[in-house]
Amino acid sequence: MLKFEKRENIPLHLRILIPLISILLGVLIGGIAVMFSQVNPLTVYKAIFIGAFGSTYVFSETIVVAIPLLLISVGLILVFKMNYWNIGAYGQYIMGAIFCTYFALNSAETMSRPILLMMMCIAGMVGGALWALIPAALKAYWKVNEVIATLLLNYIALYSLKFLMYGPWRNPRSFGFPLTKIFDLNAQLPKLISHTRIHLGLIFGIIAAIIIWIIIKKTKFGYEIRVIGENEIVARYAGINIAKNIILAMIISGGLAGLAGMAQISGIIHMLQIEINPDYGYTAIIVAWLSGLNALTAMIVSFFLGGLFAGASQIQITMKVPIGIVGLIESSILFFLLGGAILTNYKLYYKGRKII
Amino acid sequence: MGAIVLQVKNISKHFPGVLANDHINFDLRKGEIHTLLGENGAGKTTLMNILDGIYYPDEGEIYLNGKKVDIRSPFEATKNGIGMIHQHFMLVDTLTVLENVVLGLESQGFYLNKKKIAERIKEISQNYNLNINPYAKIWQLSVGEQQRVEIIKTLFRGAKILIMDEPTAVLTPQEADTLFKILRRMIKEDKSIIFISHKLDEVMKISDRITVLRKGKLVGTVDKKEIKQKELAKMMVGREVLFRLERNPMRRKGEVLKIEDLETHNDKGIKILRGINFSLPGGEIFGLAGVSGNGQTELAEVIVGLRRAIAGKVYIKGEEVTNLYPKAITKEGTNYIPPDRLKVGLVPNLSSVENAILRRYDREPISRGIFLNYEEAAKYTRELIKQFNIMVPRENAPVKFLSGGNLQKLILAREIREEPALLIAVHPSRGLDVGATEFVRKKLLEERDQGVAILLISEDLEELLMISDRIGVIYEGKIVGMVDIDDANINEIGLMMAGVHKNPLLKGEENVKV
Repeated sequence: MLKFEKRENIPLHLRILIPLISILLGVLIGGIAVMFSQVNPLTVYKAIFIGAFGSTYVFSETIVVAIPLLLISVGLILVFKMNYWNIGAYGQYIMGAIFCTYFALNSAETMSRPILLMMMCIAGMVGGALWALIPAALKAYWKVNEVIATLLLNYIALYSLKFLMYGPWRNPRSFGFPLTKIFDLNAQLPKLISHTRIHLGLIFGIIAAIIIWIIIKKTKFGYEIRVIGENEIVARYAGINIAKNIILAMIISGGLAGLAGMAQISGIIHMLQIEINPDYGYTAIIVAWLSGLNALTAMIVSFFLGGLFAGASQIQITMKVPIGIVGLIESSILFFLLGGAILTNYKLYYKGRKII
Repeated sequence: MGAIVLQVKNISKHFPGVLANDHINFDLRKGEIHTLLGENGAGKTTLMNILDGIYYPDEGEIYLNGKKVDIRSPFEATKNGIGMIHQHFMLVDTLTVLENVVLGLESQGFYLNKKKIAERIKEISQNYNLNINPYAKIWQLSVGEQQRVEIIKTLFRGAKILIMDEPTAVLTPQEADTLFKILRRMIKEDKSIIFISHKLDEVMKISDRITVLRKGKLVGTVDKKEIKQKELAKMMVGREVLFRLERNPMRRKGEVLKIEDLETHNDKGIKILRGINFSLPGGEIFGLAGVSGNGQTELAEVIVGLRRAIAGKVYIKGEEVTNLYPKAITKEGTNYIPPDRLKVGLVPNLSSVENAILRRYDREPISRGIFLNYEEAAKYTRELIKQFNIMVPRENAPVKFLSGGNLQKLILAREIREEPALLIAVHPSRGLDVGATEFVRKKLLEERDQGVAILLISEDLEELLMISDRIGVIYEGKIVGMVDIDDANINEIGLMMAGVHKNPLLKGEENVKV
């Protein structure tokens, strides 16, 4: 006889222990799958770990992956707190990349580097914010379901990008490949640490996380968002302007996703192409969720998931295991992490006796 | 009296933070009406939900006709001949009586023999004088009739033991009398009835034996013939009960609220207010009586701006506020104690502090620019807690862990501290224990003495008679009668609540159109 009971407060040791045990279980199950492909799971895990944290270079690659995850997830945390399910960071990220590319292609010669980069940041945020404004306004004024609206806009963003890459923005000298020309140095985000790919985006991410944390915990806006998210009827009764809050929060959320897109192409890829990793927009949902919708915790979670993805992509190359196995390890770990979260929020009883 | 049909031994059940049932013993004889009496939160409904298989007890045993049974679902309860009629009916509005009766029946195959079922329903209906047409749609029936459909449902399934959870809460006094006649008819047929209530007078009227629960514990089982109402009250509450409250003479001031020809829709888009007119001066408590569903909660929502009026006007202190935003109406000095504390009044997962500042988080000193000053907020909350004697173990814990009485005190404190000119209180003491009820009523009287105009909407006639200065009766979206408290007569009000007796001679200046 299993029984769950909601916890009144969550003890610190459980906050740490439960995710740790969840990861171990995920590793165990993932390991069984690895055994089926005739590879020793221990070597695989060792390779992942080394691939994520084993040297300065791979460590820096982990951070490179963590940057967009952090930027997007803290924006998502803001709207998730309001019970608004923005699934559209994928599209907002693409739009941010497209908008900033306009300046990278057209203003590189006429603007100085700081001005150009600032313009690109603003353009990226505006692109993401505008893309987020569409479903936000639909929800605020006509009660259109945001999950459907944001999800479908992702496809429109993707095909807009494809249109640009196969059409007006294709570099005539790219031998037909759908790429723009490589950005001028002026349009590239400066590196933070030499000999790595870590760029200024890291600073953006950390600042964004701190600002979002302050908004949620310390401001009237954050208070209104929490009231709306917990109980919309009370919010109306207290006279909170729900439409205004949805729109404002989505502008911030979309703006950060757009900034992530800008940082990725300006800091890492250095050109616009079709494959610009917008999937971070989906992974960031998991980051937001695993961090318990806390923007500061999101820094740690982004770093951990960044390590998992960076390490896993390493073993694809070094161990020559099939790409499916890599995905399987990743997902079994995420699966246990998300499943384990129930035990942080609920007590578990077996035959009337408390287990955890 | 008949043999014991049902016996409950040492039943315990606990929920987070509460022991809802603490080793309860209880038995039921064939052909008796056995009342389970207790205040809200005493554990009556929990115990009955255990018998109906909705909850499973942590400890204890249930015996039916001397045989131990294990009831794990309402379905198994039905198989054992136990039928429960809940406070909120489990009926599908758009289906007919017949369709509701067969819903979920296992014995029905793919093809429904409607004719045979209809005959059986008619037979039951005639046998117990239930007077129900099997082909009527549920939404066409009155609340009293819907309750009788629930009775038919359980009888159709062969129930020998009927559990009725506060069945009179939704009925007028006259409808309650009809129900009692039906219950008496049923025990003559050797059915046994468990009747749950906290209304002493009806308990004395209908029961054979009475079992009293208090805070999850068994106080005792008594024979109706051997006990007086006052002693029963003491058993239920654990102390002497005040049946009257001291009130000062009323001092009316200028008009605060005026409603003209007000109309609105309910959530289903059906017109529920059909031209409401009244005016309310400061310093008066105007009690609005009525069976639930006659538009009273919608009226409150329109006044505070949570629901749109489709016709008519609302004036507060002479200013028209019809269909303004809730915040604008609050600014005019209107505060609201909503009927549902955790759905409308408070945010369950936020802390006491975050809930206490809901009305003033955007004013100094709690807000400073775009920031909230949580120290000031906590200070303000502590003031409320002290002034209203609210039991808050930890001010940063979610409020959902507070008891109903403390939740209501928190709302009351928050709203009263805004110093309203008009206070709208909907079911302010519903679900509260006697102590908290008394507190809430006293506070309302205090506010009235301060010159606040109070619109009190309640289904509890006793409460209305105790603290109102004037009582209006709402029926099908109209105010059908209005009396000063000195002329109030519970029978007459009851008839008006049922829409039977209309009183077009309303007092002087009210000029109500009926």
